[in-house]
Amino acid sequence: MLKIAVMIKQVPDSQDITIDPVTKTLNRSQARNVVNPPDVNALEAALLLKDKEGGEITVITMGPPMADVALLECMGRGADKGILVTDRFFAGADTWPTSYTLASTADYLGGFDIIFCGEETTDSSTGHVGPGIAEFLGYQQATYVNKVEYEEPFFIAERDIEGATETLRIGKPAVVTITLNANAPRNPTLKKKIEAYKKGITIVANKDLKLDPACIGLKGSPTIVKDMKTVADPVKTPVKPGIEELDKVISVLVERGIVK
Amino acid sequence: MANFKENIKRINSSESISGRMPDYDAIVVGAGNAGSAAAITMASKGLNVLLVDRADPPGAKNLSGGVLWGNDLAEILPKWQTEAPLERFIDNKKIGFLTEKSSIVIDFKTEFFRDNKIAHSVLRAKFDPWMAKKAKEAGALVIPGITVESLAIEDRTVVGIKESGDTITANVVLLAEGVNPRLSIEAGLRKPLQDRELSVGVKEVIKLSAQKIEDRFNLTKESGMASEYIVGSLGNLNIGAFFYTNKESISLGIVSPMEELRRNGVTHTYDLIEKFKSHPSIAPLIEGGTTIEYGAHLIPEGGIDSVPQLYGNGYMLLGDAAGLAFSNGLVLQGMNYAIVSGIKAGEAVAEAKARNDFTAKSLAVYEQKLGSTYALKDLKTFKDIRKVTNNPKMYTVYPQLLEGILLETLWERGQPKKKTRDVIGEAASKLSVGKVKALTDLYGIYRRM
Ligand SMILES: Cc1cc2nc3c(=O)[nH]c(=O)nc-3n(C[C@@H](O)[C@H](O)[C@H](O)COP(=O)(O)OP(=O)(O)OC[C@H]3O[C@@H](n4cnc5c(N)ncnc54)[C@H](O)[C@@H]3O)c2cc1C
Ligand SMILES: Cc1cc2nc3c(=O)[nH]c(=O)nc-3n(C[C@H](O)[C@H](O)[C@H](O)COP(=O)(O)OP(=O)(O)OC[C@H]3O[C@@H](n4cnc5c(N)ncnc54)[C@H](O)[C@@H]3O)c2cc1C
Repeated sequence: MLKIAVMIKQVPDSQDITIDPVTKTLNRSQARNVVNPPDVNALEAALLLKDKEGGEITVITMGPPMADVALLECMGRGADKGILVTDRFFAGADTWPTSYTLASTADYLGGFDIIFCGEETTDSSTGHVGPGIAEFLGYQQATYVNKVEYEEPFFIAERDIEGATETLRIGKPAVVTITLNANAPRNPTLKKKIEAYKKGITIVANKDLKLDPACIGLKGSPTIVKDMKTVADPVKTPVKPGIEELDKVISVLVERGIVK
Repeated sequence: MANFKENIKRINSSESISGRMPDYDAIVVGAGNAGSAAAITMASKGLNVLLVDRADPPGAKNLSGGVLWGNDLAEILPKWQTEAPLERFIDNKKIGFLTEKSSIVIDFKTEFFRDNKIAHSVLRAKFDPWMAKKAKEAGALVIPGITVESLAIEDRTVVGIKESGDTITANVVLLAEGVNPRLSIEAGLRKPLQDRELSVGVKEVIKLSAQKIEDRFNLTKESGMASEYIVGSLGNLNIGAFFYTNKESISLGIVSPMEELRRNGVTHTYDLIEKFKSHPSIAPLIEGGTTIEYGAHLIPEGGIDSVPQLYGNGYMLLGDAAGLAFSNGLVLQGMNYAIVSGIKAGEAVAEAKARNDFTAKSLAVYEQKLGSTYALKDLKTFKDIRKVTNNPKMYTVYPQLLEGILLETLWERGQPKKKTRDVIGEAASKLSVGKVKALTDLYGIYRRM
């Protein structure tokens, strides 16, 4: 019986985002929210582990109240519990207080045998948060993993390194970050979603965590965004697909030593 | 669909089944206008309701031209005018013809519309999730992001729905799955729609600032304009078009019968909407705007003849799934028909529950209730409307005839003036429409419309 957590973040669907040229901030108002894609792979990796070893999966997100649907979606895929970490004190966090608050939440929930994260988010893509949680909690960690198995008392994590697979054996408790497309996530089912919506989620606020307000949210964030530049789309020369063009592509690839 | 009749018979002839405890009083498939209205009606009466929609948020992918007449909505959500995500209330309605070079429009702006604010432009991507939220607040369990795979049928009765190998049961399943009702068709509860019963609608939402919209269309901050056109500038094609103002965008599009498109070998409806947009009297209205949404959708326009049996043992058909939409060339309405069918179906389920009888016989009250509203009455009254809307002259000859008459009477060309009678006669003969034929057509329109 493993005690498993999956950290997920609700992100705007990247297809719907534009950048406000004046304020230089991302305009997410038109965007539909989705679960950060690699987090769906992280959840699937956790579900595969649970299928084999048994256990309980808790999905955790820090975000605004409307992020509850992201948790319910994950419960519809098979997670057992949803925890929404939300409080105005947590707002405006950069990766440092985000990692700190999430690590504190894991601690508050009694700690876990293994915590799954995505490799990075599509809206900020720092990739800091997984390793940050591991450091705050003092857990072992493995990043850019695509498969996790359990061989008591170790986790075996596989990561693709260019042209080879690296297999790591890490101790318990551990944090792993999972790559995008590491696996084929199962879909939510109606029956599980009904259970999820009936069960609901649990809210954790700072009155539960009792963290120093100077260390969380905007106040606890050492970085601020100074400037953002909008980059023009690179000019693409359209290539009409045909045998000749294909030959050209191949010759360029050969020229550059990419294929032999 | 060979066993369609037999299926219906099997489903309709069974007795009430006892001895099962279903999971819900009612399951509603589809959180469009029909499904949410039904769920709100039932949940407010204390029924145990499950509402499932394939989109997340529920209904977010639905499409309408976008004018909602809210009389029925007011019945279940009296505060809709202040709470719903509405765009503009319509106090200016225009109807007209477009020819290649002209537009002939009746511009009807009225305090009557302004006083009761019952017609509003809406964007379904916002409106439908709001209605589903109202269903949740009324007590229904609303599950988004799930496509129901099939119906569970036992003993000639619909007993529930199936998804991922699980069966969820209910006393009644309300099928509000829209114009292409796959579950209902596969279960033999209705026939697939034929080309002649369908129109294709193509729509764009064009972003334009509120200021520009208010200036261009002479509107206030809240008021809006809705126009419908018969497009006579696209050759022989039978095309209607709509043009509605939202808060910060325009919804426009074209509608054409499926048969017509097939007959003329039109495969790219995209070209048609582009031609409408570039018409000399439409282009300036959308100048400077950018298209932010594009979509196509079918519309049931078969009228009363394509409305199937609306109920049977353990099920009912609602809204578009039951072919309940109305169009006569001047108006296109389906949202209000969907809502009224949802309300009546919901009431019928509540009554059936009081009797604890969910057989066809008990659910028949749905059709009686709906029959006493405008919804079925309109479809009966306008039984032959397709003969008018499908009359090719409506799109070719008559717009040109009108244009010819107006040119003769309103254009001073330094020529001797003619009497109106002669103007009409000459315009008609130029287009080689017999006067008798024109008169019978007009009489036909007058009779059917
Ligand atoms: C315009 C903009 C600029 C920003 N600039 C900075 C900056 O300069 N410096 C900085 O530190 N931050 C910055 N932030 C980001 C900050 O607020 C992050 O969104 C947040 O701290 C998480 O970091 P991330 O999204 O990069 O996550 P990553 O570290 O890329 O996420 C990795 C994984 O951690 C988990 N995770 C991440 N966030 C959460 C969460 N909220 N709840 C649960 N699990 C989570 C998920 O499993 C995710 O896959 C910026 C954000 C925006 C929108
Ligand atoms: C171009 C165009 C313009 C129009 N203009 C107007 C107008 O101005 N005014 C007006 O009143 N009407 C208009 N209509 C008609 C109106 O849009 C429809 O009549 C109305 O939407 C019907 O509502 P409904 O609830 O029956 O179906 P829909 O709104 O289509 O809802 C069906 C729902 O069922 C869900 N669903 C389907 N199958 C499944 C499944 N298997 N599992 C789970 N969920 C499922 C869908 O996700 C959807 O939410 C227009 C239509 C078109 C196409």
